[in-house]
Amino acid sequence: MEAAAHITPLAALKPDLYQRAWASVPHPTLPLLATTHANQVTVFSLTTLSKHSVLAGGHTRSVRAVTWQPAQPATRLRLVTGSFDASAGLWTWDAESAGLEREVTTAGAGVEEDDDDKDWEFNLVLEGHEHEVKGVAFNPSGQYLATCSRDKSVWIWEDVGGAGGEDDEWETVAVLSEHDGDVKAVAWCPDVAGRSSKARYSADVLASASYDNTVRIWREDVDGEWICVAVLEGHDGTVWGLQWEPSTTKGDNKFPRLMTWSADATVRIWTLREEEDEEDQGEDVSGGSRLFRSGLGGIPNTMRRSMREEWECTAVLPRVHTRAVYSATWSADTGLVASAGSDGLIVVYAEDGDGDADVKMASPSPQPETAAAAIESSAENGAEERRGAWRVLGKVDNAHGPYEVNHITWCKRFDAGAERKGEEEMLVTTGDDGVIRPWQVRISS
Amino acid sequence: MPKADLDNENPTILNVSQLPSRRQKTRSARNGPDSKYDHILFPKQPWPWGPSKTTSSWPSDDDEDEVEEDAYHDEYTEEPIDEQEIYDLISTISDPEHPHTLGQLSVVGLPDIYVTPAPTERLDPRSLRTVLVELTPTINHCSLATVIGLAVRARLEQALPPNYRVDVRMKDGSHAQDDQVNKQLADKERVAAALENDTLRGMLDKMLETCA
Repeated sequence: MEAAAHITPLAALKPDLYQRAWASVPHPTLPLLATTHANQVTVFSLTTLSKHSVLAGGHTRSVRAVTWQPAQPATRLRLVTGSFDASAGLWTWDAESAGLEREVTTAGAGVEEDDDDKDWEFNLVLEGHEHEVKGVAFNPSGQYLATCSRDKSVWIWEDVGGAGGEDDEWETVAVLSEHDGDVKAVAWCPDVAGRSSKARYSADVLASASYDNTVRIWREDVDGEWICVAVLEGHDGTVWGLQWEPSTTKGDNKFPRLMTWSADATVRIWTLREEEDEEDQGEDVSGGSRLFRSGLGGIPNTMRRSMREEWECTAVLPRVHTRAVYSATWSADTGLVASAGSDGLIVVYAEDGDGDADVKMASPSPQPETAAAAIESSAENGAEERRGAWRVLGKVDNAHGPYEVNHITWCKRFDAGAERKGEEEMLVTTGDDGVIRPWQVRISS
Repeated sequence: MPKADLDNENPTILNVSQLPSRRQKTRSARNGPDSKYDHILFPKQPWPWGPSKTTSSWPSDDDEDEVEEDAYHDEYTEEPIDEQEIYDLISTISDPEHPHTLGQLSVVGLPDIYVTPAPTERLDPRSLRTVLVELTPTINHCSLATVIGLAVRARLEQALPPNYRVDVRMKDGSHAQDDQVNKQLADKERVAAALENDTLRGMLDKMLETCA
């Protein structure tokens, strides 16, 4: 029997924002979720499912994007915001004055409205972009920040403050201007097993998605210059965003794949052709007839030949959306993908032949109704053969009533209703209606 | 913009009486000029929705969803909005460079407005309806095509219920940079940012002043 996902709404986070909200980003470890709306950010506690704090007064126009700086001292929260006012803002919550533990766990209850923003300090404005900043992202170590803008450029900033991060000092290390249109989003490759297994260069890899319908991959060369090593062409519309494969569920030590989503209503998966593959397929290189071959158009001739990478579109997820896909999310735990967009749908997909998923899921889940069970049941054939085959496990119509859904993310549950706090995953959607809604996803086979 | 720079100094102008009408206009702007874009910049949920208990595919969770429960079903029964009504909403927008409306200049025309599914089809009120408006700028290199398109999109998003998706495009062959303008008008993020731009917003305010 075919596996199915049962997606049921949980109570919306409180309060409703009653205005368009763009994105909700979970903290990498703590039970916090940062939501951008108007010219501010509301941070929700995932323990109480209510407002924890507000970051206001830093930006003159809408805050479009937000990200948590990873690898911070245990006593500190740090956020970077990207705004239509062309700047990125750096915010710090200092636990010494506020009591991070207490605030994180008890937030919302008994906190006076007026005090909501007193503990977030607006430390620094990163200026340089000419137009709206649309995306912000940290590399896994938290050393590099990438920002992207309607000015068609991607900037890489380095945190050069003291080791303890006492001084707020940032330097621009690169300005990448090869896209022909707005750069909508940036993403750094996570620090997973496959990332460095065959690294010939620096470990960090950046990807950018653009209004010019392409995705570009960027690496640092031996001289410390950031260069474009691949242009991924295939989407027939603005590429709204991208996410790297969050864990190497395949166990084959391959380089993480890249997922992209677009105004063309599709979600695509791209795979780096690694060296041993190139030898296998040597004859095919000049053929050029393969569908979805990534092009290298626009890469300057001065680029070192050795750094060029071949990326292929190895899957287009089943076409369910009828309008732009604004967001998609790939779970590190289950390998499941969920997408959402202008048509108000939530769609959950699974990859067939995900043979390693059962290993990952086996230990912490006492329930039979897990994604692993579902995936296992369909994984009878060789994984490699079936790689790239995705199917729809479930969907929800009108997830935010008649409104568009701007963002979707997998997120750990910490609330009282969770069966396994800090482990169990839920989806969180963010809509034009200002509602931030968690969803429970159960897989049955 | 100085008069001498008009892109088209002698546009064809229709008399008001020649414009398509149902005589009695059924719908007009409900907000004052100051609040014209507020719901786009900060949509206030005129039809507060949440997942409703009435949808059979969702098990009800009574204790959790109280906030979303709303008088929606009492207050709102869908009156289908037809092409004439869409026309009435946008034909009164002023042209940014001529002292006439988009209807008088034939920038918008009733045959170029498409509602899908057709308004005569009765649907669950949460189902999406798409409104496609094809614009014909007065001449084919009109530099203000984007601004006109933005005004039309802003006007419709303000006036229509939230289950309407508004697509504004240049009519095929009518504008030299069609694709570029169409793509810009279809980009929610760029539209949102444009409406936060004071200069542009000033222009739009002026264009929408003539909307009843």
